[in-house]
Amino acid sequence: MTTTITKERITDILRTVIDPEIGINIVDLGLVYEINISDNLIDITMTLTTPGCPMHGSITDWVKRIIEMTIPNVGVNVNLVWEPKWTPDKMSDEAKLQLGM
Amino acid sequence: MNTVNSVASVYSPPFRIVAKYFIAAIVSFVVLNLMLTLSYKDISGHHFQPKILSITHIATLGFITMIIFGAMFQLVPVVLEVKLFSTVLAEIQFWIFSAGVILLVYKFWNFGSELSFTLPAILLNAAMLIFSINIIASMIKVKKWNLTGTYLASSIFWMLTTAVAGLLLSINLDTPFIKISHLQYLKLHAITAFVGWVAMVVMGVSYKLIPMFTLSHDYKLNLAKWAVILINIGLLGVNWIMHYPDTKFYNTLFGSLIFIGMLLYLIQIYIIFNKRIRKKLDIGLKFTAVALIILTITALLNFSFLFFNYENVINLTLVYGILFLIGFASMLIVGQMYKIVPFLVWYHKYSSKVGIEKVPMLKDMFNETFAEYQFYLMISGLIISIIALSFQMQILLLIGFSILFISSIIFSLNMMKIFRS
Repeated sequence: MTTTITKERITDILRTVIDPEIGINIVDLGLVYEINISDNLIDITMTLTTPGCPMHGSITDWVKRIIEMTIPNVGVNVNLVWEPKWTPDKMSDEAKLQLGM
Repeated sequence: MNTVNSVASVYSPPFRIVAKYFIAAIVSFVVLNLMLTLSYKDISGHHFQPKILSITHIATLGFITMIIFGAMFQLVPVVLEVKLFSTVLAEIQFWIFSAGVILLVYKFWNFGSELSFTLPAILLNAAMLIFSINIIASMIKVKKWNLTGTYLASSIFWMLTTAVAGLLLSINLDTPFIKISHLQYLKLHAITAFVGWVAMVVMGVSYKLIPMFTLSHDYKLNLAKWAVILINIGLLGVNWIMHYPDTKFYNTLFGSLIFIGMLLYLIQIYIIFNKRIRKKLDIGLKFTAVALIILTITALLNFSFLFFNYENVINLTLVYGILFLIGFASMLIVGQMYKIVPFLVWYHKYSSKVGIEKVPMLKDMFNETFAEYQFYLMISGLIISIIALSFQMQILLLIGFSILFISSIIFSLNMMKIFRS
C-alpha cells in the first residue's frame, strides 16, 4: 500500500525540523515558502531568518534527509532563497506566542 | 525568487582548530581571575607595575585575543561566505601565540627573571602576522563585501599596530631607545588595543550576531557605517599626534571622534535590541546587555579624560582597566560564548543526527541555573572590586576578586559540560 504524497504530509514532516537555537520548527517559523510535488520529486523553497546564518548549509540537508527517510523512493530538492525576505509576520501565532510577541 | 547558490561555497574550519583556541581562552580566563585574587595587594596606585601588566596581558592576549582568533576562524568564512585560506597556518599560529602569551605573562609576573621581553614579543608578532595573512588571504576572495568585513579588516590593521608598538616597548624595556616617554607609548599601545582591536572586533561581529540571536528585523545600519569611519580617523589621528609634543587640541579632537564613533555604535545596538522579536533575554544576551552598558560607562569615562585631569584620583586608571577588561570585554565574551560554544559543539556532534535520533536544543547543553549564578556573581564581584579600589579597601578587594574567581570556575565548568555533551 502506498500513501499519497501531499503538501500537508510534507508540512507535517517538516514540523519535526526544529531550529536548535530558537526551539521552534521551521514551518511555524515561516521559513518554508513553497512545496511543489510532481510525481516522485518534491521541490521545497525555503529561507532562513538571517542571511549569513551559520545553519545555512545544514538546515537544507536536514530537510532533504528527513523527507527522504520518511518517504522512500522520492527525490528532494531544496532551494534556499533570500527573496522575499523573511519577516516576523510569516510566523504562526503559536510561534509568536512562544517568542513573547 | 533568486535561489541562493552559495551554500556549498560556505566552509567552516575544522572544529578542532576553533575548539583549541576556545579551550586555551577558557583556561586563561580562570588563570586571569586567579592572578587577580593572588595579587590583590599589588593592585593599587600606578598601572605601570609588573603584576598589573602581567594580568593585563593574560586578559588581553590569553583570554580576549585567543577567543577573537578562534571566533574569527569560525565567523569570517560564515559571515563573508568564503573558505578560510589555511587551517595549517591557524594551527601553527596557535602554538606560536600560546608560547608568546605564556612567556610574556611569566616575564611580567617575574620581572627580575633573565628572560628577555623581546623574545615573547617576537613570538606574538609572528603569530599575529600569520593570523593577518590567513584572514586577509581569505578576505581577498570575498565576492560580496559587507560592513562587518570593514570592521574586521580595520581591527586587523589595529591589532598589527598594537603588536608592533608592543614589540618596540619590549625592546625598550630590554634596551631603552624610544625617544618619547615609555608611558606615552604605552598609552598608545593600550588605546589601539582596546579601541582598535578589541572594541572594533566586538562592534563588527555584534552587528551580525545580536540580530541573529534576538531575531531583530527592520532596522538600518547607517550609524554603524559612520561609527567605523569616525573611530578609524580618530585612531589614526591619535597614533599620529602622539609622536609630537604639545598636542592637547588635536588629542581632544581625535579623542572626541573616537567617542562619537563609540556612541553611534551604542545607539545602533540599542536600536537593534529594541527591534528584537525575542523579547525575553536569555543568559547569553543578559551578559551582553550588561557588557554594553559598562562599555557606555567606560566610553564616557574615556571622554572625560580628554577634559579633566584626574591625576589625584587614586586608582582611577585601574578602575577603568577593570571596567573595560572584566566589565565590558570579559562579560561580553562570556555571554557570547554561552551562545557560540553550544552551537559549535552541537553542529559538530549532532548536525548529522537530525532526523535520525533525538538531538538536544542548544540551551540544554549547559546548566542555565549555574550560568545565572555566574552572571550575578560576576556583577557583584565587579561592583565590590570597583568600590574597594576606589576607597582603597584591601580586604574588600580580595573579596571582590575571589567572587570573580568563583564565577570564572563556574563558567569553565559550564563550558566543560558543553564540550562533553
